[in-house]
Amino acid sequence: MRYRVRHTTTYSYRESVAVSHNLVHLVPLDSSRQRCLRHELTVSPSPATAHERRDYYGNRTGTFTVQQPHRELVVRAVSEVDTHSLAPPALASSPPWEHIRELLGGGACSRSGARCAGEFAFDSPLIQNNSELAAYARESFPAGRPILEAADELNHRIYSDFTYDSAATSVHTPVSVVFGHRRGVCQDFAHLAIACLRSLGLAARYVSGYLETMPPAGQERLVGADASHAWFSLYAPNPDLPRDPWSDFDPTNDCLTGDRHISVAIGRDFGDVSPLKGMILGGGPHEILVSVDVVPIAVSAGHRQQQSQ
Amino acid sequence: MSVMARPELSASPPPPTTLIAAYQAPGMGGWDELVDADGALRSHWGTLATQLDRLGGANELARRGDHAQRLIRENGVTYNVYGDPRGLDRPWQLDILPQVIAGAEWDKVAAGLAQRAHLLDLILADCYGPQRLLHDGMLPPAAVFAHPGFLRPCHELQVPGGRRLHFYAADLVRGGDGQWRVLADRAQAPSGAGYALENRIVLSRALPEVYRECQVRRLASFFAATRDTLIRLAPRHRDNPRIVLLTPGPYNESYFEHAYLARYLGYTLVEGGDLTVRDDSVFLKTLGGLHPVDVILRRLDDDFSDPLELRNESTLGVAGLVQAARSGNVAIVNALGSGLAQNSALMPLLPRLCRHILSEELLLPSVESMWCGDAEGMSRTLGHLDSLVIKPAFGPGRGEPRFGNQLSEAELAELATRIRARPFAYLAQEQIRFSTTPVWSGGALQPRSMALRAFAVATSDAYAVMPGGLTRISADPALPMVSMQRGGGSKDTWVLADGPVEHISLLRPVGAAVELRRGSIDLPSRVADNLFWLGRYAERAEDCARLLRAAVLRLADDPGSFAGRELAGLTATLRRVGLLAADEPSPANPSEIEEQLLTLLHDEELDCGMPANLHRLHHAAFAVRDRLSNDTWRVVNRLDRELESRPPMATRLGDALSLLNRLIANLAALAGMGMENTTRGPGWRFLDLGRRLERAMFTADLLRALLAVEDSDSGLDLLLDIADSGLTYRSRYLTNLQPAAVLDLLLTDVTNPRSLAFQLQSIFDHVAHLPRELDRALPSPEERLALAIDTSLRLADPLELAGTDHGNRLAEFLDRLSEDLVLLSDGITRTYLSHLVSSRASDNGRIRETPDSASAKAD
Repeated sequence: MRYRVRHTTTYSYRESVAVSHNLVHLVPLDSSRQRCLRHELTVSPSPATAHERRDYYGNRTGTFTVQQPHRELVVRAVSEVDTHSLAPPALASSPPWEHIRELLGGGACSRSGARCAGEFAFDSPLIQNNSELAAYARESFPAGRPILEAADELNHRIYSDFTYDSAATSVHTPVSVVFGHRRGVCQDFAHLAIACLRSLGLAARYVSGYLETMPPAGQERLVGADASHAWFSLYAPNPDLPRDPWSDFDPTNDCLTGDRHISVAIGRDFGDVSPLKGMILGGGPHEILVSVDVVPIAVSAGHRQQQSQ
Repeated sequence: MSVMARPELSASPPPPTTLIAAYQAPGMGGWDELVDADGALRSHWGTLATQLDRLGGANELARRGDHAQRLIRENGVTYNVYGDPRGLDRPWQLDILPQVIAGAEWDKVAAGLAQRAHLLDLILADCYGPQRLLHDGMLPPAAVFAHPGFLRPCHELQVPGGRRLHFYAADLVRGGDGQWRVLADRAQAPSGAGYALENRIVLSRALPEVYRECQVRRLASFFAATRDTLIRLAPRHRDNPRIVLLTPGPYNESYFEHAYLARYLGYTLVEGGDLTVRDDSVFLKTLGGLHPVDVILRRLDDDFSDPLELRNESTLGVAGLVQAARSGNVAIVNALGSGLAQNSALMPLLPRLCRHILSEELLLPSVESMWCGDAEGMSRTLGHLDSLVIKPAFGPGRGEPRFGNQLSEAELAELATRIRARPFAYLAQEQIRFSTTPVWSGGALQPRSMALRAFAVATSDAYAVMPGGLTRISADPALPMVSMQRGGGSKDTWVLADGPVEHISLLRPVGAAVELRRGSIDLPSRVADNLFWLGRYAERAEDCARLLRAAVLRLADDPGSFAGRELAGLTATLRRVGLLAADEPSPANPSEIEEQLLTLLHDEELDCGMPANLHRLHHAAFAVRDRLSNDTWRVVNRLDRELESRPPMATRLGDALSLLNRLIANLAALAGMGMENTTRGPGWRFLDLGRRLERAMFTADLLRALLAVEDSDSGLDLLLDIADSGLTYRSRYLTNLQPAAVLDLLLTDVTNPRSLAFQLQSIFDHVAHLPRELDRALPSPEERLALAIDTSLRLADPLELAGTDHGNRLAEFLDRLSEDLVLLSDGITRTYLSHLVSSRASDNGRIRETPDSASAKAD
């Protein structure tokens, strides 16, 4: 699939902001499943300094500083991405999960992709595992079970045991509270799954991105109605199959990720890959408006929107 | 006549040698610093022992000890103990006896420290660069990836000279075999070097002849190397770089040291809010505008240093700092991310790493350690849990050490469970008996456990080790813990030289004036703000004390007659100046007012009371500790002690009076320091502006309460007394009390430093001379307002205002005056002190997926 993603964030401040420092993760990744064809970031008012670099995890990240007094800051990212679905991994023929745990526990740091997989086996600032989570995870991970089959079941259990509720949590709600209340949003579910997997000694990472959503039958697609999305990725190399050792699961939608998922950044948790983060001087109270459009475009030439699947 | 007299009780001082001879080392296989296993004096203590003998025994040593402790109190050497409400600025404890180390022995230790610092620096360079050690299996992943101090945004961040570890410290202990070993490495922002320096200064003053004769190596070379290093690191302005010392602020445990070092090294002491990043460079916010900063000597933990890229919730850091460092526009010392080397997981690995990286044997061993992140280390640890010390592996501040032999079965089981859950987070160390050293306590020398913090600073090609260090001693003989947080003491550390030592003066003479080293240009706005409030609180405390004293005097003099108009006048005054809350009933008789006055003098909880005022004064002074001379600080401390040692609440008025007299004398001394010992820079202007504004407001209130309501001789007398203008009045008018004459003296007479006219004249002068960010042709709004008030005072006619028919006019006049003064204070705050506003997060909130939630939750 080819998509055009428009991600616009507008900050409105009641008082003038003197300086605004920002850090963004808005450029879709290049991977075996997708390619970023075009990306454009526009900031208004225009920043005095701007840098783009690869961060520690290989994500394209940007920093910029607006130094003129402003009451409104608009950050608009437009990207075009090609995605294609790979053959789904054979869940039942994946290695027993303990094998992977041993692989990670063994002395040297086995290089995989940009970073050691072992990097993602430990607690991170927003994800601390505990014995409750370990016990919850264990139910899906009996001895010797193929790792992807077990992960798929865990993914499914989170989907059915937890209620999607955007009012239940905030950015700062810890995983333990999400677990207690059995409520949250995609970010919370991804964190929860990662905490469960890490509690077993496995390596799991957080993926931020977008998902193409379908308008309800008979209705038109609403502009700006999409949103950022998040899921998790599990380290499960299969020595018999030379493919990406990471497999992505979407617990919010009870599925493995496909060509409607667009990955933007990977990290240990949300804190590593927050789409837009800023520190301001002045400003008083402020409002934020986020608008995301994920629109399929014709691969041939088209800028014509397609309504069909 | 008793034959058996305890030495300290005998009438004549004991023979000198008894001090050392009477010292009993604990023995039992432990190492004692002073005597060997046979009880014989170790040779390198010989000179010290001889000198102590010459000094004249226990009484003299006790006297010198008191002298040292007095110097410490007066210099305000303090240490903050966390979690203790009274913990803020606990006086530093220094033993009168130094710890002595032979020169040759020290040279070996120093070589080991330099090697260790170099090794840790290379490990940091690898972890923040190619990570070969991880890929080659020399470093286990958990030792790096699980360490909260591994700051990913600092990976591949280029640092000057490729060096991250500029300051390194190690806690050294000596076991029964006499070998020095490293108990812990400090690589984040090691503290203690400033305390070591202060200890040296105090002890060399308390024991000058002993110090001279012992030929002790000087510390100055270490600090000179520090200065050179910081200048060399500056990315630009190498001829005169602006170097700042970044502190977390007055609540940090070693804030005293930050202020002390900043002053000693000549750097500006800054908090995160004093700095800002523009154009990828760091600037200091000063009254005169933004000034570029070249080098940051960091005492703030690295993860708190940039809320944008590092720890998000930090309010102590500087947004954009990481990017500024990445752009090469500022050098940060130690480099951001160096906390990773504060890593006990490395301890068991260091001998191997040293051979692998440096092709050398590790010179200075660590205390026998096992890291639980390693399978073998964990099983050995769990097997011997009851005899080991279990510590957090990733540096101090992440949990207390647990002593296995002090834990119950249940506690041991619980600890084992925790270790199994996160093995890599724990380190087990052999519980060694620390060496003991003699400490002067209770009139004799007693053995105490000790640890030595030693310091190294990077030079252009190696590390220079401080010849000495901070010796810390346990609080009591039974405690193996050596921790300033737990009430232990400290010692100066004397490393002996082989020959005579060149005399180098370390400090400028004591008693230098308030320091505004670079005139107006480097006065941070935060400092101006604190000086302004220091002026206000000092004056407020003095006004309060004068008012209380005047009242107490009258009450003590003749309580029976203190009623009617006098009582009403005093009550009105208390209300007017805010010492009696509006909702509190008026005291009806002398005993009620007495109760009220004593409460104001004693009650800690009362917001307007004397203790609260003095606390605020202390707090403001503390925040600008680096800007105050030692003399000034001494007065501030004396105020504190007066308050602490005040008589109990149910005290007689006579005691209250003498306390008030002492407080007023000290407050007057503080005011005198401000006038006579302070350079007339903007710092002084803010200090004096605060004082003048506060006094103007108070005087206006006094006049309003005692003159504009109803005039009486007793009221006028009280007024003159509180305003300290009685003498002048009587010299002019003898005993004839006239409202108009009193009004003239306190309202319009510019020659009386207590009058409103005098205050306004000063205020106008200050406001007109404050720096302005823009070249304005017209006077500033503050200048206009000050001028307007000043003019209205000059034009005021005391005779007319004080006329009996014009009581209301005086009231109106004074009310307007009070309002204008508040406006003026607000205006000054807005213009000069408002960019104190610090950064805050504007995170776009969270990711969400449902279509109905386009407006993300803001936090």
